[in-house]
Amino acid sequence: MSTKQRKFSIFRYNPNTPEKKPFMQDYVIEEVPGMTIFTALNKIREDLDPSLMFDFVCRAAICGSCAMIINGRPRLACKTLTGDLKGTITLMPLPVFKLIGDLSVDTGTWFRQLQLRTEAWIHTDKKFDPDAVEERMDNRVALEIYEAERCIECGCCIAGCVTANIREDFLGAAGINRVARFMVDPRDERTPQQYFDVIGSDEGAFGCMALMACDDNCPMQLPLQSQLAFVRRKMLAFGLLGK
Amino acid sequence: MQAQKLLTRNPRAELYYDLVELLTGVTLVGFLWTHMIFVATILLGKQTFNTLSQFLDDYYLSYVGIPFIILVFVTHILAAGRRLPTRYQEQKIIWRHARMLKGTDTWIWVFQVITGAAIFALGSIHMWMVITGWPIRAMTSADRMHSFWWFYLVLLLLGEYHAGFGIYRQFVKWGWFPRKPLGYVTKMITAVILALGLAALWVMYELGGAV
Repeated sequence: MSTKQRKFSIFRYNPNTPEKKPFMQDYVIEEVPGMTIFTALNKIREDLDPSLMFDFVCRAAICGSCAMIINGRPRLACKTLTGDLKGTITLMPLPVFKLIGDLSVDTGTWFRQLQLRTEAWIHTDKKFDPDAVEERMDNRVALEIYEAERCIECGCCIAGCVTANIREDFLGAAGINRVARFMVDPRDERTPQQYFDVIGSDEGAFGCMALMACDDNCPMQLPLQSQLAFVRRKMLAFGLLGK
Repeated sequence: MQAQKLLTRNPRAELYYDLVELLTGVTLVGFLWTHMIFVATILLGKQTFNTLSQFLDDYYLSYVGIPFIILVFVTHILAAGRRLPTRYQEQKIIWRHARMLKGTDTWIWVFQVITGAAIFALGSIHMWMVITGWPIRAMTSADRMHSFWWFYLVLLLLGEYHAGFGIYRQFVKWGWFPRKPLGYVTKMITAVILALGLAALWVMYELGGAV
């Protein structure tokens, strides 16, 4: 089995030592077959530099923790094979989110405020009866909801978005997709006006300039262009016709 | 909420802004493409060009159309221009981001902003020249293009770029068609209009400069 040395250029910065300016640090490790960025980072931390900060939990593209900028593009470290990349592999932390240190960012706080602002829960006056038989749902609707729910909140769409990079209050594709999920859900009894108040502004649907970096870089291949357009059209109908 | 924001709040303002951007943009693309087809009548001869120009004059279409287009032009600048970041740090972020991401659509947008600003300047000069040299006749246009062919060449390229990708982006935004075929169709239309424009420019250049 042939061995190959791979060079990594990794962003280093610790907010606790701000006197030390951000810099790129190089590491060289041996590439093994099937190696992901995630396994490479663990190897670097174990063998070369225990101070390197990065996030991971599930290593199976479910938790969304290990998103970072890999050779310029937002990707999941656990889903990206080193073998698919050429030359030096450059790793940067996701922009927009608060930098914890090196490649580690706090997406949690950001997504928490997204949930609150979009009111990402079912709004209903119905009283929940735990003994009743669950209401049936049309299979097509269930699939539509599920499609939007596949979002793992990794933040790749937000990091790739120019608007999100310069406007801190922009909800981005993740936020708009989240609202789309509730719009198709028949259990949510929100009125058009209530939805409009949540997302009918430049912080929501109308802030998007259709640069489609979200659509291009979603690790879950969510249909973000059509989700954004769906919400935009809905907002037009809600805003002009009230329905 | 603060008092000044409470008193001035219009929840639909940004919806209207977005619609104005869409409608003025689509109108301008429609105008530009029609305009280029009209100019290209020079390919059929001086007479055809003059007859069309005369027709537009006789039915007052020019006198209604030109002020209307100027109004739409200015409105579009205000509506689309609202998105432009002006702070130094925002500018730095965008350029850095575009270089890093290498996303085609992101770069297209950066150039669309630049072409938009350039069209604002060059388009205004163009309108001024045409209006002060009224009426539009084949020989006066030909002389203008003979002298300032480089100006018209630049404006043609900028205009077609901005219009072609602008209409593409609006369709992407509103999601009426999928992205890939949409990009292909807008590129094809742009190529045809560009070819017509270049041919007309060449004919005009050859025709002009006699005096």
